[in-house]
Amino acid sequence: MAVLLIQMKLAVLRHSMTGRRAAQMITGALTGSALAGGLIVVAGRDHPLASLPFDLLGVGFALWTAGWLLGPALFGGGDETLRPEHFSLLSFTPRRLAAGLAGAAFVGVAPLVTLVAFSALVVVAAKAGLGAAATAVGVLAAVLQLVMCVLASRLVTAVLGQVMRSKAGAALAALVSAVILAGLHSSWVLSPLAQAALRTGFPDPFSTWIAALPSGWGLVAVRAAGHGQWPTVAAALTGLAALGVVCWYGWAALLKRRLTTRRASGRPARVASGAWAKGPMTAVAARELRTWSRDLLRFHYLVFALCYALAFCLLPLAIDAPIFLPWTGAVFALWVAAISANLYGEDGTELWGKMMIPDAARHDVRGRQLAWLLVTAPPTLVLTAAMVVFTGEFDLWPWLAALVPALLGGGAGVTVLVSVLRPVPLADPHRRGGNLLENGTDFAQVLLVLILTAATAAPAYFAVRLGPVWAGPVTGLVGGAAMAWLLGRLAATRLESSAPELLLHLRTGVSPKRRRPAPALDRGRPHLPKPDLGLEKLGLDLAPTGRRAYVIASLTLCWVPLVAQGIVPALMLTTGQITRSWFLALHLPQHLQWPTVIAMIALGLVLLTTGLGIGLYYLAKSRRDGIEPDGGP
Amino acid sequence: MGPSSTDTALRLAALTKTFGRKPVVDHIDLEVPRGSFYGLVGPNGAGKTTSLSMAVGLLRPDGGRAEIFGLDVWADPARAKELIGVLPDGLSMPERLTGRELLRFTGLLRGMDLKEVERRAGELLTVLELDRAERTLVMEYSTGMRKKIGLAAALLHAPRLLVLDEPLEAVDPVSAATIKAILQRFVRGGGSVVFSSHVMAVVEQLCDHVAVIASGRVVASGPLRAVRAGRSLEERFVSLVGGRIPEVGELAWLSS
Repeated sequence: MAVLLIQMKLAVLRHSMTGRRAAQMITGALTGSALAGGLIVVAGRDHPLASLPFDLLGVGFALWTAGWLLGPALFGGGDETLRPEHFSLLSFTPRRLAAGLAGAAFVGVAPLVTLVAFSALVVVAAKAGLGAAATAVGVLAAVLQLVMCVLASRLVTAVLGQVMRSKAGAALAALVSAVILAGLHSSWVLSPLAQAALRTGFPDPFSTWIAALPSGWGLVAVRAAGHGQWPTVAAALTGLAALGVVCWYGWAALLKRRLTTRRASGRPARVASGAWAKGPMTAVAARELRTWSRDLLRFHYLVFALCYALAFCLLPLAIDAPIFLPWTGAVFALWVAAISANLYGEDGTELWGKMMIPDAARHDVRGRQLAWLLVTAPPTLVLTAAMVVFTGEFDLWPWLAALVPALLGGGAGVTVLVSVLRPVPLADPHRRGGNLLENGTDFAQVLLVLILTAATAAPAYFAVRLGPVWAGPVTGLVGGAAMAWLLGRLAATRLESSAPELLLHLRTGVSPKRRRPAPALDRGRPHLPKPDLGLEKLGLDLAPTGRRAYVIASLTLCWVPLVAQGIVPALMLTTGQITRSWFLALHLPQHLQWPTVIAMIALGLVLLTTGLGIGLYYLAKSRRDGIEPDGGP
Repeated sequence: MGPSSTDTALRLAALTKTFGRKPVVDHIDLEVPRGSFYGLVGPNGAGKTTSLSMAVGLLRPDGGRAEIFGLDVWADPARAKELIGVLPDGLSMPERLTGRELLRFTGLLRGMDLKEVERRAGELLTVLELDRAERTLVMEYSTGMRKKIGLAAALLHAPRLLVLDEPLEAVDPVSAATIKAILQRFVRGGGSVVFSSHVMAVVEQLCDHVAVIASGRVVASGPLRAVRAGRSLEERFVSLVGGRIPEVGELAWLSS
């Protein structure tokens, strides 16, 4: 059985080794090998402290295992080369099928690379001179750790696949991805701590925690073998094996459930009276509020924005820098805008209903703006007020009173305008899988809206900086209201004039701007490709290698000069709360500080705009040439 | 020419749409008399959905005109759309609302008075037997329930012409009977209905007029009796669109 499934999987892999897929696989293999090589180098190098290589490997293994556990759920489905459903009509028991599929799960590039990475256990045992027995234990531990990792990944992915169908799961996924992203964006905070750890060793509680995680049990076994503590060795290795077996049992149970039960129908909706909706605009707003609370995707996004704002602004407290705290509300508003600018794409072909109602476009846009403000403004204001009180930064009030209303108004305008001008077609709500992870996010759109919304606050910023104390708040309020009104009006006009084209786009998934004709209207059943982050989707596959590399590098790196070396030190200089850390400008003489900050921001903007410009050029080109996102070679 | 001065509920004149190089709808002319129950039949891919989408203002035609009671749908959409109720096939609805919420918000968006909306919505839900699913979201509805709530939304503002794309497709017999009864009552009350289907029996049962569409063109149209020309609609349809029925000797291995 397992042999047969392994042969099938190898056949599938062989057939899919064409063109782009092969390139992806090779890129993945090379990246993984480089990371695995890094772990082996860490294991084989000389370190100032004897415990340091073990701690470093512990962190490395923990991250590696976390990648196996969360990666498939967060970045797409997991390894489904062989889908269990294909075998459901054959006469296998679920446990036998699980055994076969588990066997096949160890075939592939990722398990191989992981085995290389875990072989650092053998290297570290040899390097530390723990003896032949410890080296042998290292070999055994590497294999057991691989087994545990792969099976646990299967189990966790299956569990998350089930949990993601509920609100709690949506909130959990939002929390995890928000903390990861916020952590990446503020990793500058952690760099001084990491540098200290590399010199003087990790704090004891940290080492203990790292060793206590299952990913650290292999290291525990190797060290214990070196010191002749055989009961510990046995306990650690048995623990790894037992965990693997438990994961396999759990996965088999979930597999049975997946193959034999259908998704339960939704719980009865909580019906509010909605008595305040008496006219066209309030009716739209009331409907939107129901979508915010009933749509898992929207709910997920909202929790993400909140978690991101909190994590991003609280993390710098690790180096005693409360500088971001008063801005938590503003960051939240900015992110809610960024993730809610696909209003029409998310509703799908439902647009037809509004097209059949005379004058509905204007009411629809205004109603959606009202709902966005009702959802966003109260938490923004509460977060802002609470954090100001908490930090005692009352001097910041002109800034906050200017920027918060400007961002709220700008967000209310930008979201509807981008929703109309740049929709990202998704499958219709009732055809989407229950698993919200299947509905990818369009990162280009998120980025675009973040920039545009932040830009709408520019007048308020300059009013505070250059004007008298009352100018900022007034500009913020008036500017925010004007932005919401003006951009909303543009969106409504555009929606009114081009609704048929927008509907065709949402229906077929192909922008009418492409010269290549849209596919004919099938009677319904639009199954749209899910958006993915592939180069093809961004049109970048057409770009020459150099430009492609430039776009990716500039869009990835522009945040360092723009935010980390530009806006953050600018905020510090403005507020007078200076933590030098790695901020170049703050280490320079005073008269060079502002010029450096401005140069950094300019450099970041140049990288960002050129990267975006080139990227958008090739995106437009790919649309003109009519390259289908999922078209084969 | 006002809405009351014409005897034609829907007129399509040389309506054309091309996707790629292939004309999907090729200069279609169609005249639906006021008060008629008009069936549009054709094989899959004949252009029925595309024609109806252009006729009601959901898909911009490449050429030709679509008129509703004499009003050009594309030149004067607001007035034309007041007069029609539409039920497309396979498109989404406000999925995260209950049936009652959907009707209430649709009516309010139309600018109707809240009290009147609630009265009509209550009556429609009762007649369509959707009042037992008060707390079920539309996305959890069965196919039959989806068609019924779509029909309710199309009827809410008391239109004069109903344009329905496959209203009975994949609908259970009980729901289908309800829908048919409502449509017949709508026509008796002076309304006009245009609907597409590829179930000949339904068209023969309900319609007084029929048009056969194949490859984007109208190949026959008029009163049902005239189009049938003394045969069953199915035989006539197959002969018009050039289908082929398996002969006796073929697939002999199927009888074991």
